[in-house]
Amino acid sequence: MDGQRSNRAILLAAAPIALAVLVFGISFGVLAVAARLPAWSVVLMSALVFAGSAQFAALGVIAAGGSVLTAVFAGALLNLRFVATGIAVARSLPGGRLRRAVLAQLSIDESYAMAARAGAPGRPHGRTLLLTGALLYAVWVAGTLVGSLLGPVLGDPKRLGLDAAFPAGFVALLWPMLSGRHAVRCAVGGVAAALLLAPFTPPGVPLAGAAIIGLWLAR
Amino acid sequence: MAGPLALTLVLGLASLSFLMRATGALLPTLPPAVTERTSGLAPALLAALVAIQLTGSNGLLHLDVKVAAVLLAAGLAALRAPFIVCVIAGALVAALLRALFHL
Repeated sequence: MDGQRSNRAILLAAAPIALAVLVFGISFGVLAVAARLPAWSVVLMSALVFAGSAQFAALGVIAAGGSVLTAVFAGALLNLRFVATGIAVARSLPGGRLRRAVLAQLSIDESYAMAARAGAPGRPHGRTLLLTGALLYAVWVAGTLVGSLLGPVLGDPKRLGLDAAFPAGFVALLWPMLSGRHAVRCAVGGVAAALLLAPFTPPGVPLAGAAIIGLWLAR
Repeated sequence: MAGPLALTLVLGLASLSFLMRATGALLPTLPPAVTERTSGLAPALLAALVAIQLTGSNGLLHLDVKVAAVLLAAGLAALRAPFIVCVIAGALVAALLRALFHL
């Protein structure tokens, strides 16, 4: 594997991101418990899914009264970008197919970005991905645990504005993606599809409509 | 939410996420045209999620504290504030408006 950068340097560079992920994990735990998910399932979700925006989207659907199927659908579609990053990192990971498939689970937006920056063009730095990913995984799960224990102490979620945290979070995730005409087109198309379908279809269909429009307008 | 339902949610999302991240290692020769198209999914879905949260079942804007939260979060995101700052600011402004105007 490609050497040069020491493990210590990689972890130090990831430290500020780890702090941000910790705070995000705590707020996710608080919000999830406020949406009436059992605390154990919230921590299990962070441990097995390890994707902030997808977990946040799934939770937003549940908090708004949507079904489990719709929530899984919304979360999974947001994670589809990992197909692309998974292909990019696969060549940089050690071992056979199965081992690489497991190690690729450590890729999230932040660890992938660090690895892409540390590597050559088209070839992310494998060890940066693994070390950064492992650090962020640990703080994400720990933060979720703290948040899920803290949540019940905080009181009425609506009084704290926690229901408004979801649309605020969605718009904050969306904004940095809106560079370029294609992305803006997809976002506008998604809104139009959702609002046109919402009055006439059961929950879940508007999101599916938005997804199809997004795929269609992507290029 | 009941335990079995929550477990369904977690395992459903976890297994799909696992497969997506594993695709690259298991099928390294996916055509780029397929993966390129998926870049349109996230903006379309997130924008749709915002729209659904801000509208009633009739598809029209439902004026409440969430609108203020979204506007503030969008403004902060435009100023390149970190994600978590936008979320907390959105929740705070909603809590504040509710406390002030008993909404």
